[in-house]
Formats: sequence, C-alpha cells, structure tokens
Amino acid sequence: MNLTRLIDSSLAWLDRLTGNGSRRLARATSRRSFLTRLGTMLTGAAILPLLPVARALSAESVQEMGDPQSCDYWRYCALGGTLCSCCGGTMNSCPPGSEPSPIAWVGTCRNPVDDRDYLISYNDCCGKSVCERCGCHNTERERPVYYPSKTSSVLWCFGTESRAYHCTVGVVLGEAGGAG
Amino acid sequence: MTITMRVASLPLLCLAFVGQAAFGQLKPEMVRNATLAEPRPSWFLVKADEGSYIFDGDTGQMQGLISHNFYTTGVVTLLSRQEAYHVESWYTKHVRGERNDVVTITDMTDLSPKAEIDIPDKAGALNFRHHIGMLGDERHLVVFNMTPAQSVSIVDVIDRQFDGEISTPGCAIIMPTGDRSFLMICGDGRLQLITLDENGREASRSRTEPFFVVEEDPVYDRPVLTDKGWLLVSHGGQAYDVSVSGSRVTVSRPWSLLGDEDREEEWRPGGAQPFAVHRNSTLLYVLMHQGKVDTHHEPGTEIWVFDTERKKRVGKLSLEVAASHLLSSQEEEPKLYVFDQDGKLGIYDGHQLKLIRSIDDPGPGPGLLQLLARDD
Repeated sequence: MNLTRLIDSSLAWLDRLTGNGSRRLARATSRRSFLTRLGTMLTGAAILPLLPVARALSAESVQEMGDPQSCDYWRYCALGGTLCSCCGGTMNSCPPGSEPSPIAWVGTCRNPVDDRDYLISYNDCCGKSVCERCGCHNTERERPVYYPSKTSSVLWCFGTESRAYHCTVGVVLGEAGGAG
Repeated sequence: MTITMRVASLPLLCLAFVGQAAFGQLKPEMVRNATLAEPRPSWFLVKADEGSYIFDGDTGQMQGLISHNFYTTGVVTLLSRQEAYHVESWYTKHVRGERNDVVTITDMTDLSPKAEIDIPDKAGALNFRHHIGMLGDERHLVVFNMTPAQSVSIVDVIDRQFDGEISTPGCAIIMPTGDRSFLMICGDGRLQLITLDENGREASRSRTEPFFVVEEDPVYDRPVLTDKGWLLVSHGGQAYDVSVSGSRVTVSRPWSLLGDEDREEEWRPGGAQPFAVHRNSTLLYVLMHQGKVDTHHEPGTEIWVFDTERKKRVGKLSLEVAASHLLSSQEEEPKLYVFDQDGKLGIYDGHQLKLIRSIDDPGPGPGLLQLLARDD
C-alpha cells in the first residue's frame, strides 16, 4: 500500500472511530475557542501538526518495511490474535462486514526504518466468526490481564454490536514520547 | 417399473437376502449410552474452545466431555455435589443477535447440563482459570466481568440465583481465600481482599501495600493454590507466597526461581500455563525457557522443580518438545500433565520426572489444563 492510500484509509478509519459525537464535542471545546482567538493565521494546515494523531500520520512519518501478513511485521510487536491483513483487511483496516472495536490495548513498537518507537493501538474487528489465519502471539511490553490497557489477553470487542472476535489490526497512534 | 429397471434391481434383491442370512445369526446391537465412571483423582480436563475433554491420567483414556462455548473461561468442579460450573455467553445468531450470559451447571454423573443461572451480560472471556472462583462455602460462585469496566458477579449456585454485582476497578483474577472471601490482583501492584455477607453482598474490602511494579516486573495472572494460600510468580521469576487470616493478607518477601548463573543464561518462566504445585509435597513445577524480557508466554524447554519450603530448586527435566501448559495432579504420588507444541500431552511421574505415557490426540488443544476440583 502506498503512503497516500495508507494515510487516506487510516484517517477514514479514525473518522469512523471517533464518530460524529466526538467531532461535535471537539468543536465545543476550549481548544477551538483558543484557536479562534488566534485568528486565521493558525488555521488549516498549520493546525494539523499540533495534533498528535495527525502528526503521526502526516507525510513525514511512518515509513514502512516488512510484510503486514507476517507476525514479525514491526507494528505487531505486542499483538495477540489473528491478523486482519490475512483475512480480507489490512494492517489497519477491518475485513469487510466486521466492526472495529473503538476500545483497544496499546503497545509500543520500534519501526526498523527510522528506529523510532511508535504507539500502536491494537483494535479487534468484531461481529463475525474468528478468522483462523495468521495467528500471532507477540508480547513485547505486554502486561497481565489485571492491567488491561496493555494486555492482549482480553477479547477487545467492547462497544461493538457483537462481542464476537474476528481479527486484530495495528494502528499507528503517534510517536512514543517516553517509556511504553 | 420398466423391464430394464426390474432386471437391474434383481442383484439388489439377492444382496438383501444374502445380507439377511448373514446377519440372521447375530443379535443386532442397540445404541446405548455409556455410563460415566466414578471420577478419580487422576482425572483431568483438557479445556478447548468448545468443550472440556475429560481424561484419566492412569490410562490415558478419554472419559467424556463437558460442553461449553468459546467464551467459557475456567471450569469449577465440585465432586462433593456432583456438579461443575462454567460461564457461557450466547448470541441468538452465533456471532450476532442478542447476547445472553449464563452460568451453566453440569451434572457430573452423566455430563449433561442440568441448570442455568442468568447473569449480567458482562462476563470476561478467554482462557483464564481464575476468571471464575467458587468460595469456601461452596455456595457463592464469583464470575469476573469486563466491559471493559472490571467487576464481579456473585452467583448463588445452591439457590440458583444471581446475587449481585461488585465493582472492582483496576483488579482482576479471583483467588478464593475463605468461606466468603476472595483476593484479586490489581494493576497498582496490590492485592484486594473482598469479603461477602451470607447473602452474597459485599461486606468489606481492603488492599495490601504495593509489592510489585507492573511496568517493571508484573506477577503473572496465573496464580496457583498452595497448601498455605496462593503463589504468585513474576515474569522475572520472583515468587511471592500469599496467605489470608481473617481480614489480614500477608505477602511474603519474594524468593527467586533463578540463581546468578540462570540469570546470565537468561532463563525465565513462560507459557500459557507455566506453574503447577503439588500441595502435599509442597513442590512447585515451572516451565522455563531461555529468552529476553517480555517472553512470558514463550513455551518452556525445561521443567524446573522447586521445594517451596526450602525455596530451592530440587529437580529439572529437559523436554524433547517445548511445552505451553503444565498441571500437577494432587494424588499422593503426583502426575504431571504437560501439553507440548506438537499438540501431544505427556503424563510424567511428578517425583521421578519420567514419562509414563503420552496422549497423542488430546483434542483440539488446550486453552487450559484443569483438575476436576474447586480451585485447580
């Protein structure tokens, strides 16, 4: 997948994730008021780099290397589950007919291209039978089930129509600022 | 019928007569139900996604199967009441539709389901033996919930009713400690003790001081019952003995599974079910492998045996095939059940560390190995 398509599909996915309610909420926050006061000189493209997710997905980041259908692919360093990229989806998009879980666990993986650490959100795709292809069990910085934000040992189909697990994607959230 | 069809059917008629003559000498067999033998201490469960396969470790023979579904965590067996308990989440249309969570009660005389208790549709899933726990009164069953908010459902299995839900933020894993109390492990490095009243409502709650740092060296979410309480082992091989007396929880100073040489050689515990204890002889069995930090689910290439009284290694067994799951029977002479990466289950003499027999096809593979017991 080329970089433009990657950015397009990632942003579309994130759009669905956050939903209309979140956008309405964002518009009403003080950050918008602050930006409004700053005037038009800080709007548009100049604003985007201030947002961590946008910065991570901007053209200056996430150079890719490796096979997204392999457990060794760099984003999957803490992925426990089956790979959506083997099941009709991609490394960051759910296969057709499945529903991305809006709640996820988070890992920190090193990108071999730029040797930087990135925060990776592992979202389960839900509502279909288990896709029993490309099972992975990577545990880098993974923590036990009583520390859920960093555990893969949970069915993360929460907030979805069905809790049925289909497969898992790895979405780059941004560059890791500190310890993962 | 045409002439051609009549001619063609002649051989079939002949065959029918020959068949009758051949079977005329034999009394036809009837399909019957095998009766389940009296469970023995050598029996164990190989829990897979869609059922728990019951084997006898003395013979290697399968005895029967407890049906459950993909969302079932552990199975609690109470042989004194001839019942087993597990949680199931059901959707009306397999992977979609309305969800309904229940505690299913299995009759252990014939392995048939005998009752269901409706519980909140919040039950946690995956293969954690201690996402479910029967308290010492053998009445109150505690079921772990995750939505992802963490809580427990209290179920009265005698009156067959849901008693209530208790919020347990930041904590998971249920370790029964008394007639009506249980411990949980919390992400802030503490243990939480919850006591119930006789109606299954929360009576008290307390927490220990932090004794581990989850980002540095977390304890496994796979505790094992000991003769004195519970044993917790960290990813880095630090062992903590936990005991409860009344409302007082005692966590021992840690002792290490590793000597200096072991650390240099990067030995670590690992696997899906890496620990087992034989309570009578206070022996701890651990699946060990050589690997870096964060390889806590890596299968073990060796089984190390520790005397938990002397806190010392007393034995070691090299495995031909790395293993992911380990269980000890609680017979006088323990048997070790070891599930390996080839999908085979080895049964070892737990004292001699010798292979007794192997079950080449123990089913579709374990999520868990369990005894037919309340806590194992």
